[in-house]
Amino acid sequence: MNALPRPSTIFLAAITTLVAVLLYSPLFVPIVSSFFTISHGDVDWSSPTLSTYRALAENHDILAALRTTLIVGLCTVVLSVVSGTLLALYYHGRRSGRSILQFIIFLPFLMPPIISGLALLIFFREIGLERSLLTVVIGHTVFVLAIVYRTVLMRLQSMSRTLVEASYDLGATGWQTFWRIILPNLSSAMVGGAILAFALSFDETMITILVTGTQSTLPVRLWAMMRLGFSPDINALVALILMFTVLLCVLAARFLIPRQMATERS
Amino acid sequence: MNQNTDLLTLRSVSKSYGKVPVLHDIDLSIRDGEFLTVLGPSGSGKTTVLRLIGGLEPLTAGEIRLDGQDISRMPINKRPFNTVFQDYALFPHMTVSGNVGYGLSVRHVQRREIARRVAEALELVQLGRFADRFPAQLSGGQRQRVALARALICQPRLILLDEPLAALDLELRRQMQEFLKSIQREIKTTFLFVTHDQEEAIGMADRICVMQAGHIRQLGTPHELYYKPNCEFVARFFGENNLVAGKLGPVQGEQRPIETALGRLVCSISDQPHLKAAPDGANAFAAFRPEALHLADATEGDNRFSGTIADLAFAGSSTVATIAAGSDTAAQRLRLRIPSRIDGSALKAGETVSLSFAPHEGHLVLA
Ligand SMILES: Nc1ncnc2c1ncn2[C@@H]1O[C@H](COP(=O)(O)OP(=O)(O)O)[C@@H](O)[C@H]1O
Ligand SMILES: [Mg+2]
Repeated sequence: MNALPRPSTIFLAAITTLVAVLLYSPLFVPIVSSFFTISHGDVDWSSPTLSTYRALAENHDILAALRTTLIVGLCTVVLSVVSGTLLALYYHGRRSGRSILQFIIFLPFLMPPIISGLALLIFFREIGLERSLLTVVIGHTVFVLAIVYRTVLMRLQSMSRTLVEASYDLGATGWQTFWRIILPNLSSAMVGGAILAFALSFDETMITILVTGTQSTLPVRLWAMMRLGFSPDINALVALILMFTVLLCVLAARFLIPRQMATERS
Repeated sequence: MNQNTDLLTLRSVSKSYGKVPVLHDIDLSIRDGEFLTVLGPSGSGKTTVLRLIGGLEPLTAGEIRLDGQDISRMPINKRPFNTVFQDYALFPHMTVSGNVGYGLSVRHVQRREIARRVAEALELVQLGRFADRFPAQLSGGQRQRVALARALICQPRLILLDEPLAALDLELRRQMQEFLKSIQREIKTTFLFVTHDQEEAIGMADRICVMQAGHIRQLGTPHELYYKPNCEFVARFFGENNLVAGKLGPVQGEQRPIETALGRLVCSISDQPHLKAAPDGANAFAAFRPEALHLADATEGDNRFSGTIADLAFAGSSTVATIAAGSDTAAQRLRLRIPSRIDGSALKAGETVSLSFAPHEGHLVLA
């Protein structure tokens, strides 16, 4: 199995660990300190407490931002899953126009968010659309569409073409084949794509700042709060966002990594 | 069911993928209730024939008739045929009974009726205990039988099977061959079975259609193909054979001689008018099976020649000798099959032997 000689395996493992530690360990600082209060400008390590979280739950600004984030996230998920799946279905097995479409879909995802955000901002101004939650949802959908499209397309490509043929062969109509064969085989990819889309929308900051109206989402709120310096409730908020995002990614992985049923034909 | 009426007829059917022609002017009649095997090497167009009949691909030219009615443009889900796909194509998200019942449920048959017929079909393929399993939980042979049950349940006029046994190991393949054959006899449905394995074809088919490079080379019973191949391809492809090139001599009743490097060989031409009609001097082959060749005592008489044993191979009940015959300039390699003996072969490598075959055991094919 392992083609590499042992010393180089160890070396690679060491590097990977180091990178992981450097990248992710700073994140533990706010998580840990969110359970302690700060008094006289110093962390009071003596008594762990949930008081920062309680303060968060009573902060109306934060709660409003959370609600906005959830609304935007859900709308984004619905829009991106429906359109991403339709695009994948339409372009699956089609040669002409596919590479151009993929380029267009992937561009907003690959470009720096500030460019995408500015482009959207100019676009909304040109067509005369007021900045609001609607523009945020559109912005997020454009941003995450690539992920959903890619996930669904990959599942479609791994699905045997003969499944669809067998369905027709057994007398099913196009609709029956779609609802009873294609969709059930895509569903876990769609759920996985939806979770990823939600996680991305949940975290999105730059585009949101540029295209939102008066309401702010959680990350934007966090951004605004941080300009005033780190406070215990920021630690708590970061900790919550972090845990939630990790949870979503683990969930998405469960749906996207093929299990026994999906690999049946190997 | 009447084996003499045609169920399905292909008339001058051609198929091209883009500009690449794959089938050329195919004519084929499938009789009601028969087990017809399409046999040919890989790439000869067997799958394409099946897909055209099933409606999975449109024809480029020609027509397909069912009971005399043109169905060339009938959509796939309206054709009364069902396919057993090469990769089985079982729906991974449905149980065995869900798979088998699919064809009925898309036609809105009542639930109780579906349950009854699914149980019946699973009983037929001996999978009653596996109704609630998923395809991933079955072995290759079991999946195969689920695919068969799923195709049978709609009571199609014709079942199309595309190399259904290719993925199975030898032992299981033998069992499935018998199993398929017995099911076909039981439900009396017409089977169109594609394979590249000539032993499988001989063992199962009522009739065999031999394909090569998008053409049908011959259609007949296994016996006819074996003893009266109509061309060099069939003579070589179908079973072991010795072919010796030469020029035809004048017809002598039901026999005709051919001048070859081994001398003058006389072969039967009964029931083969095209061989009677061929002009003298036409290029042809004398063909005789390894088991038709005998060691001869005398050196006189019909179809006699000598050769040197180049190699001996023990093959269980028989021993196959490879023999170098003919002149140095026109050397011929022949195969001779004789019964094996417990005390070793009577033959030795390097030995020179005299050989012969009876005229009625030799046949001719035009080059
Ligand atoms: N979808 C296709 N597009 C182009 N060529 C094809 C396609 N399907 C089959 N062919 C070609 O048609 C020929 C016959 O194929 P096929 O019917 O699958 O042969 P077989 O089943 O006898 O192996 C092959 O040369 C193959 O490459
Ligand atoms: Mg094939």
